[in-house]
Amino acid sequence: MIEYLLLVPLIAAALCYPLRSRRLIEAAGVAGSAATLAVASLLSYRVFTSGTMDEGLLYMDAFSAYILMLVSLVGLMAVIYSIPYIGRENREGVITDIKLRNYYLFFQLFVFTMLLVCVSNNLGVMWIAIEGTTLASAYLVGLYDRETSVEAAWKYLVICSVGITLALLGIIIVYASSIQVLGESSSALDWSTLMATAGSLDPTLLKIAFIFVLIGYGTKVGLAPMHTWLPDAHSQAPTPVSALLSGVLLNCAMYGILRFHMIVSGSSLGPGFSGGLLLLFGIISLGIAAAYIVMSKDYKRMLAYSSIEHMGIIAIGFGFGGYWGVFGALFHMLNHALTKTLMFFGAGNILHRLGTKDIGEVRGVLKVLPATGILFLGGALAITGCPPFSLFLSEFMVVVGGISSGDVLGVTLYLLLLAIVFAAFLYHAGRMVFGEPAGTAGGEGERSRVDIVLMSALLISILALGLYLPAFLNDVLQQIVRLFLGGSA
Amino acid sequence: MAGNRMLTLVRLFALQSLALGALALTVALVTGSAHIYAVAILTVVIKGMIIPWMLLYVMRQIKVDREVEPVVSIPMSLLLCGGLTVVAFYLTQPIIFVGGAIDTITKNCLAISLAVVFIGFFTMISRKKAITQIMGLLTMENGLFLAAISVTYGMPLIVELGIFFDILVAVLIMGLFAFRINKTFASVDTTILRRLRD
Repeated sequence: MIEYLLLVPLIAAALCYPLRSRRLIEAAGVAGSAATLAVASLLSYRVFTSGTMDEGLLYMDAFSAYILMLVSLVGLMAVIYSIPYIGRENREGVITDIKLRNYYLFFQLFVFTMLLVCVSNNLGVMWIAIEGTTLASAYLVGLYDRETSVEAAWKYLVICSVGITLALLGIIIVYASSIQVLGESSSALDWSTLMATAGSLDPTLLKIAFIFVLIGYGTKVGLAPMHTWLPDAHSQAPTPVSALLSGVLLNCAMYGILRFHMIVSGSSLGPGFSGGLLLLFGIISLGIAAAYIVMSKDYKRMLAYSSIEHMGIIAIGFGFGGYWGVFGALFHMLNHALTKTLMFFGAGNILHRLGTKDIGEVRGVLKVLPATGILFLGGALAITGCPPFSLFLSEFMVVVGGISSGDVLGVTLYLLLLAIVFAAFLYHAGRMVFGEPAGTAGGEGERSRVDIVLMSALLISILALGLYLPAFLNDVLQQIVRLFLGGSA
Repeated sequence: MAGNRMLTLVRLFALQSLALGALALTVALVTGSAHIYAVAILTVVIKGMIIPWMLLYVMRQIKVDREVEPVVSIPMSLLLCGGLTVVAFYLTQPIIFVGGAIDTITKNCLAISLAVVFIGFFTMISRKKAITQIMGLLTMENGLFLAAISVTYGMPLIVELGIFFDILVAVLIMGLFAFRINKTFASVDTTILRRLRD
């Protein structure tokens, strides 16, 4: 049943290949993503209501279903946003027809690899899928023929491949410890089996393995100090791809780490060891992101650093642990994905209208692009954690988790760094949105209605989630929290 | 590491892969498990033949200069690699000798494999050309393969197959990007990739 889900983006990619007309390719892309979302919703609904699905190599529980929904939802929105965005660049001659086709093709492949990350049961297959996300998205990052794009794509490929190679070493070590217990079979790498036998795995080996995995996948998550590829790739990639990278790819890699976190928490080590490491890297990421957001000059890079910050918050939430820490971090994954997508869409509109990424040169977005300006400002308020947006709620839950875990130093640092990010981000965003436009080279007014509708929907949904948590979502999140805490209880 | 010609580097990599294939074959003979035979054959074919051939093709196409251009001088690199090997042996001592955590005939190879990973890493940071960075990554990958063989008699077959596929695609894509770096900057020296910074 799950394999149908994986087939959908592959079929869409194959359909894109022979097509020559721009309209048809776009239609294939949107249809593929819409079908992915439909199948993913169906499967997730089944998992949420009637429990896990185990099909050997493929496996779905509430946690994978949750991330799966994020991937397919943001994927669909990004592909819809691509139509006006990439179409415009195609008309202006920035990208050729062949590149346009390849863009939609690799887009589907990229979504495929991320879906595979979520539904694979075997840790080795999950590794292959995560390496696959790098390979599939490298083309998208380096889509433009500019020198900076080639540089960003090369750094992305090399840094992430090395990181992920270290994660493989971690997986080999886990396998070595599990075949002692389970004997030599391919299920010895299935994380569902590992979860069940976590208690009898060798703790020393697990410790070493977790460190390698954290460093390896952490590179992909963008945890500092392994984050150096992230601002380059996010700022050079076409905007819809930036949204996809930031909103869901980072969450997928985080998912990889968390699966190991669950295994290690279930072993005789308890959740303290891996949670402590997550907390440490989370705080470092938050600190580095805060420093760079203060100094940022390029708004797409600023958004990229903000992603590092939010991944830090998520890591801190899981690090604190406990009911509220885990619940807040999970909720934050959803909130961040939605808000960051909104912010990148806004940034894309500003970039196309004003033709610059320099914060200093952008003035008076409200005058030039009224709707984008308002939505971008709303997104900026949300992403810095202002009430009544849902990010405030999830960041607050993480604080509650921290206080109940008794980590005073962690909570203090967390709040202090969040305050710095809040002030700096809003200062930059405010300067961009308000004031008199420096010059309206490209004319005034919005260029496309589709993206305004998308962005409004995103803003309304994060506002709604901030005011009222639907009972269904609450139930889903509690199911996942039980998965985490069940192992350690 | 001591080699200062790209061609030698690729040949050495091929040789290393062939040696790995031979080791995998030995393990397969001792343990008699069928999937390690498959892995051994794949290693020889993919890593020993296809990947070196692809690298040589890329090098011929972009007419890369033969010299390696190290950031760290060659004698110094050799010294550092010696040091890294010692570190690798030191780090793995507790795992190899204490307790029965890992129990395979080839467990002593873990130290060597870690050393190979370190040296691959060092190659990546100490050599300038895009191609040498690919070589470094492949060396790390070989080290890991050795680790997998030595502590677990190899990963499950489906995982091995996937890893081989990933490596092949990675080399292909990196080769293409080496072309693009060459076209955009008229050089494959990665030290000029310094434009993106804060």
